[in-house]
Amino acid sequence: MTAIEVHGLRKSHQGFEAVKDVSFEVAEGEIFALLGRNGAGKTTTIEVLAGFRRADGGTVRVLGLDPHADRAAVRRRTGIMLQEAGFFPDLTVAQTVDTWRDFTSAPRPRDEALDLAGLRARAGTKVRQLSGGEKRRLDLALALLGRPDLLFLDEPSTGMDPEARAATWDVIRDLAGQGTTILLTTHYLEEAQRLAASMAIMDEGRIVASGGMAETLAARSGRVAFRLPAHVDPGALPLPVTVEQGLAVCRAEDPDLAAQTLLTWAAERGLRLAGLEVRTATLEDLFLELSAR
Amino acid sequence: MSLTATYRLGTRLFWRDKSMLFASVITPVGLAVGLPTLMRHVTTGGVADAAAVAHASLSILLAITAFMNITVALTARRDQLVLKRLRSTRLTDGQLLLGQIASTATQTVALIVVCTVAVRFAAGVPLPANPLAFAAVTIAGSVVMSLLGAAYTAVVPRSELAAAYTMPVFLVAAVAAGAMGPIPVPSWLRPVLDLLPTTVVVDAVRTGDLVVPFLTLAGWTVAGLVALRWFRWEPRRS
Repeated sequence: MTAIEVHGLRKSHQGFEAVKDVSFEVAEGEIFALLGRNGAGKTTTIEVLAGFRRADGGTVRVLGLDPHADRAAVRRRTGIMLQEAGFFPDLTVAQTVDTWRDFTSAPRPRDEALDLAGLRARAGTKVRQLSGGEKRRLDLALALLGRPDLLFLDEPSTGMDPEARAATWDVIRDLAGQGTTILLTTHYLEEAQRLAASMAIMDEGRIVASGGMAETLAARSGRVAFRLPAHVDPGALPLPVTVEQGLAVCRAEDPDLAAQTLLTWAAERGLRLAGLEVRTATLEDLFLELSAR
Repeated sequence: MSLTATYRLGTRLFWRDKSMLFASVITPVGLAVGLPTLMRHVTTGGVADAAAVAHASLSILLAITAFMNITVALTARRDQLVLKRLRSTRLTDGQLLLGQIASTATQTVALIVVCTVAVRFAAGVPLPANPLAFAAVTIAGSVVMSLLGAAYTAVVPRSELAAAYTMPVFLVAAVAAGAMGPIPVPSWLRPVLDLLPTTVVVDAVRTGDLVVPFLTLAGWTVAGLVALRWFRWEPRRS
């Protein structure tokens, strides 16, 4: 089953074409990451999918429904963590959750929601006294209240400390394990790489790369980097390298093999390859590669 | 159920916002009780003059507690992106607005009742002869002014300006109903002022005639509902 289908989506606001021609699908129970720099069109895409805005062109189906026309039906089954949204500053965390439980059918108990977001200890604190990361967690608690089938997370861990971020990742993974479909946007590449099975990278309103996370990265070259030993001409190395800020960088489909070749070559000459770093392609490499175009 | 949820939320927030309580409860109640009391004890007009001012003061309560309060509250929540968040729940737009309007109207009616009883004791103004008619017209007036205040947010560019934008409405409503004393207005303006929702409520309470006031309020209701088409749920990005 497909939870989200987007074909040829276009959306402008105030004369600016934020989303130009976007197509992707998200399978039920999958974690899908929508990546891109600021202004790439990620939030606009989410806002169309969540029914806040009507698409200018193309078709959008969320849980088999038109999210704008059937907004009420879609809302009942979705949870959303907006990138930017306000709270009532004078309500406490517990009062905020209680207020939202009023708006939700069959909501989770308050403490369960607070535990999921790691906010139990802050229940009595006024929202205006929360840190940015804590507000993000409160956001998450509200998004999860209705046990949604589909969860939109727009930059979920922005402003969280590393511990809270890791806890949030665990919650997201658990939810996906229980069958919740999750569409998340992020510019923390590590977050996408750790959580998502599939992804699409947006740039200037278009999708520039997409597919399964593992396959997409496997198709990209890995990287071996080391400090170029003194008096060694890069051209003398057994593999082609580029020199970037004193580092010799060798891109190869199989970076392990490349590293072995280089190390053997160095050993034969009694040289050291200081600061040797071997890594398979990361989203960051892919990102840099795409944005360099 | 969802409607009562937004109603409860609106009521909770009304009484929790300390700075707004001063503006939308203490000030209008002070005026609506204080002016008739002054009239009774300082001038020679007696109960009749006090009653006239007390009736006219309803326009102050309607313009401030209903109209200004809902305009300020909704623009603030719009600009703080709270309305956007509320819309991400299963509440419909209609439930969100209707719950808020009903809540603001309820607080207004409650204050009208408080003031009516207070001026009975402070200024000897008799209680309404026909309580049912009084209730019907003040409730209708409170709902219409709350509805119009919600629609009016569309012209308020930023929440900091909301109170300033409602000030002319308050002044016109109060002058038109005579709450500021006898202020002469050009004769061509009088018929227009007589059609204001605040003026028709005051007239209905004063004269006991309900037909024209209710027809006028019905007209304003239609205008308000149509104007809600332009309601903005998010701040203008500029």
